[in-house]
Amino acid sequence: MKFKIDDVTVYFPYEHIYPEQYEYMVELKRTLDARGHCLLEMPTGTGKTVALLSLIISYSLSRASNRGPLKLIYCTRTVHEMEKILAELRLFLSHLPSELRSSLLALGLSSRKNLCINPIALSAASRDSVDSACRRLTASWVRASAAENPAVPTCDFFESFDRAASSSNAAVLLPSGVYSLQDLRAVGRERGWCPYFLARQTIHHANVVVYSYQYLLDPKVASIISKEMQKECVVVFDEAHNIDNVCIEALSVSVRRQTLDGAARNLNRMTQEIDRFKATDATRLRTEYNRLLEGLAQRGNLALTDAWLGNPALPDDILKEAVPGNIRRAEHFLSVLRRLVQYLNGRLETENVETEGPVAFVASVNSQAGIDQKMLRFCYDRLHSLMLTLEITDTDEFLHIQTVCDFATLIGTYTRGFSIIIEPFDQRMPHIPDPVLQLSCHDASIAIKPIFDRFQSVIITSGTLSPIDLYPRLLNFNPVISRSFTMSLTRDCICPMILTRGSDQAQITTQFGIRTEEAVVRNYGKLLLEMVSAVPDGIVCFFVSYSYMDGIINSWNEMGILQDVMQHKLVFIETQDVVETTLALDNYRRACDCGRGAVFLSVARGKVAEGIDFDRHYGRLVIMFGVPFQYTKSRILLARLEYLRETFQIKEGDFLTFDALRQAAQCVGRVIRSKADYGMMIFADQRYNRRDKHSKLPGWILSHLRDAHLNLSTDMAVRIAREFLRRMAQPYDKAGCGGKKTLLTQEDVERLPHDAMDLF
Amino acid sequence: MSSSAAVQRRFDLAAMGDAATRRQRRVGNEDDDDDDEEEDDQGSEAWGRAYADERSWEDLQEDESGLLRPIDTKALAYAQYRRRLLQKCAASATSSIQKGLIRYLYLIIDLSRAASVTDYRPSRMVAVAKCAEIFIREFFDQNPLSHMGIVTIKDGVAHQLTEIGGSPESQIRALMGKLECSGDASLQNALELVHGYLSHIPSYGHREVLFLYSALNTCDPGDIMETIQKCKKAKIRCSLIGLSAEFFICKHLCEETGGSYTVALDESHFKELFLEHAPPLPAIAEYATANLIKMGFPQRGAEGVIAICSCHKDVKIGGGYTCPRCKARVCELPSECRICGLTLVSSPHLARSYHHLFPVTPFNEVSSAVPFKVSQKFAQTCYSCQQSFVSHGSKSTPHVSCPKCNQAFCLDCDIYIHESLHNCPGCESRPGSTT
Repeated sequence: MKFKIDDVTVYFPYEHIYPEQYEYMVELKRTLDARGHCLLEMPTGTGKTVALLSLIISYSLSRASNRGPLKLIYCTRTVHEMEKILAELRLFLSHLPSELRSSLLALGLSSRKNLCINPIALSAASRDSVDSACRRLTASWVRASAAENPAVPTCDFFESFDRAASSSNAAVLLPSGVYSLQDLRAVGRERGWCPYFLARQTIHHANVVVYSYQYLLDPKVASIISKEMQKECVVVFDEAHNIDNVCIEALSVSVRRQTLDGAARNLNRMTQEIDRFKATDATRLRTEYNRLLEGLAQRGNLALTDAWLGNPALPDDILKEAVPGNIRRAEHFLSVLRRLVQYLNGRLETENVETEGPVAFVASVNSQAGIDQKMLRFCYDRLHSLMLTLEITDTDEFLHIQTVCDFATLIGTYTRGFSIIIEPFDQRMPHIPDPVLQLSCHDASIAIKPIFDRFQSVIITSGTLSPIDLYPRLLNFNPVISRSFTMSLTRDCICPMILTRGSDQAQITTQFGIRTEEAVVRNYGKLLLEMVSAVPDGIVCFFVSYSYMDGIINSWNEMGILQDVMQHKLVFIETQDVVETTLALDNYRRACDCGRGAVFLSVARGKVAEGIDFDRHYGRLVIMFGVPFQYTKSRILLARLEYLRETFQIKEGDFLTFDALRQAAQCVGRVIRSKADYGMMIFADQRYNRRDKHSKLPGWILSHLRDAHLNLSTDMAVRIAREFLRRMAQPYDKAGCGGKKTLLTQEDVERLPHDAMDLF
Repeated sequence: MSSSAAVQRRFDLAAMGDAATRRQRRVGNEDDDDDDEEEDDQGSEAWGRAYADERSWEDLQEDESGLLRPIDTKALAYAQYRRRLLQKCAASATSSIQKGLIRYLYLIIDLSRAASVTDYRPSRMVAVAKCAEIFIREFFDQNPLSHMGIVTIKDGVAHQLTEIGGSPESQIRALMGKLECSGDASLQNALELVHGYLSHIPSYGHREVLFLYSALNTCDPGDIMETIQKCKKAKIRCSLIGLSAEFFICKHLCEETGGSYTVALDESHFKELFLEHAPPLPAIAEYATANLIKMGFPQRGAEGVIAICSCHKDVKIGGGYTCPRCKARVCELPSECRICGLTLVSSPHLARSYHHLFPVTPFNEVSSAVPFKVSQKFAQTCYSCQQSFVSHGSKSTPHVSCPKCNQAFCLDCDIYIHESLHNCPGCESRPGSTT
């Protein structure tokens, strides 16, 4: 269908549109008009992605005549989501008039591991080793030596891509259309081009780019991939409820004993290399010295393949001056690094937990190891330059020294918003010495600030962004629009319940100190047992932590509860091992498909809670055992809370509750992914019953949380569940009947604007 | 006291044997059940017993002013009936009129652990059995040419309770005798078993399976998807009535094989859903091919003749029917001759199946809001029972009229005509009418 919002003609790939999608588009359009940023919360299953895509592309098409086409950068968290978005985009494009369609090019970009088609490089297991295998075949000096000596292996795909790219204009390499990762690989195989570099090259000309958060937020990656994106971009962060954590992780480094040992090994090897070069090819080191003297820390035009992870600090904070004299010579630089590693080793030997600010830390490095702030700042670039000079290709071997230089550059650059925490052992296992030195960033706004400054519009959207007023404070920006939408439903297809007591009326909670009491454990077990006998197909349970889950499963096993549960449904458990969990999930799905029924026990904040959908019969019920607070004794969290209080005036309690509730909402939100679906959500902890807790849940859950479903005991919940399931099993009318319209046709939409404008 | 009354009635039952008294017997049987239950409930206290099965509070409704009023059950029932009737008409208008009149139905009753849950009173199992009894009678009443068998699932195994046959009495007796539940349920085992029995039914017969499923899972020995495909290939139509919640594999089964999947809200809804399976369903076009079927119309044997009955393998005196082809004696109609395999029916059976093909058109509701004076020129009494529509007020009670003959009928007669009579008295009494 096709309709107009103000002056923009919007193309929409479906015959019908939900009213909330329409409203969402109206708000988006206002944001784009204002060239500002916005925060939009809309429940999953309401077609958020298609609304976003169709409005932004329609908008850019209608404005193309004025000032260059708008570009859309769509950031996702996983490859799976990326594929879903590209599929949606393809559907959208197929509904566009053909003259508009021919001008659009969209593609996804992922790491070499997902895009490479070279069998040698692809045989490597991890992402880093694929990268370095690729580098071994395509680095400029490797290719140069291959030109002289044909026995040196190179990558044929890259060579033919390079020939094609240099002979013709890069913009015409790919015809218009939508390219998912699979399509890129297919194109690569067909023409013999390297898909990864093809994608890297093409994103500068594409209208829509879909890639991971890191490519924009992590300064190391962003500086090589997203540097050339112009200002006329609309950036979308989808599923962005955890965006502050992504920002923080991008600027945090942790150094362990193994890192330092590895770094020492790396240094030894580099010394050997330098000695070898000195003996054979001394001019090379001299050239590097001269270049550094001229102030070019980074070589001007690096070959595409030589580009390495960039500087960990943000582009604006990188000094544009010459490398200090005392680290210009390779040997001198290595001895500085050696002293730094030694110093860090010494710090790790501490018996107590130590917390320090960057300023104090730098001062102590200066006095004890004789390395000043400026040298620290240049560590990363200097290392980069040295490695290129030494022609080191197996970069995965050198990750340790890179980490150390990362760390050095970050503490040399930033004085606020960071702290250094040294812990001699993990707090939960005080007997095992495992010293770790962490540089942790507390301020999410540091990493995201350049994005807000650089791009015209940034749209942060997710199914769970409540409470929506906290995000602007955390990320330190002023949204033009921040709004939460609810779902229009023909029937009450979600049934949230707050369970506070077991059948014996004893309160249940995961409050620290009470959580391991037998009565609580037994009541949780009884709840699961009752539910497995009343709910068909799949049930998903979330616990607050791995250790609590392990403990409670052990106790259930001893009490015989687990055996009783197994009579009704099979039990699958998430573990920290990704492969094991994937296998468990696969079998869980099979058990749901064949009618045996299954329970999946997993952990809030785990992999399952974030990225896996339990829609339809894969999840009829989700039970949230306890409130998923962060581990509050963690030093990093304490330091962050203190920083938030001092800088942004956010109270500790507020932040912790906000964080726990968004996790809980995220967990229970897994269960419903479309309007035709239905599911129940049980929040099993008496603390949810407090107003300040459950009022922070997203609006679309709250609107279904009736007063009668608060403060329940297990038997009442079972009764409500039975009734709900029976009601949902009745046939229903999709379009909605009578006054409550949930699907709008084109005529409805055309009639809408006048009424809609009154509403806003 | 009650036990002696029950014994008396059972004795009476044994004495009766004519189809004409069936209706009366049904009433008798229901009483019988109630009596049995009261015996079961003897252990509980008197107040509990009085309300155990009635739940009289559910018949109350709060009106706008907050007063409690009894729900007008009669109006409600009538509204329900109307809805069903119209639905049926809409369905038959769109799909083909061809109906599967000769049905081979297996009723599969889930007697796994889940059947002992007491959300249906007194338990799911008993509620199912009670409705099944009504269903079996209704089924044979509406489909005299059809056959039915019962399979139970218990302890993960399917067990054939009765062989497929044409007699309601033996089915009911077998069902009532064996009501206990344990273990898990297995859809696959039941399907495999039924598939084995139904696959050598002649092609003119419609193979149907109706599950009454209490459990929410199925413990299968192998891949159920293969079994479902096998059933689909064998043209077995599987329908399922769930007692507690929608359940993926059941839905999949019904969608694949072209059956219906419904979930009951409560006892009365369950009964309603169950009885919807009694009238023959429209035949699926690709399954049904028009066929000629050889049938025998046996004569009733003279009273006092002694003959060896082929079904009981025993000497019987009087009654019975004689197969026109091989002259063997059978006790009941409709059935299949044990000796020569001929289908034996009587002509009333055929006639009774006939009405499904030509249903009486639904009557139009006559608005009761029409003022009395205006409506005077319309009929004021029911055409069939002569009851007056004029109540004490100035408005007439709601009634309906036949779109063909324009005669008016009261609501009770409307139900009677559509559910039992299958002929419109108005149209039939018109001179020169042919149907």
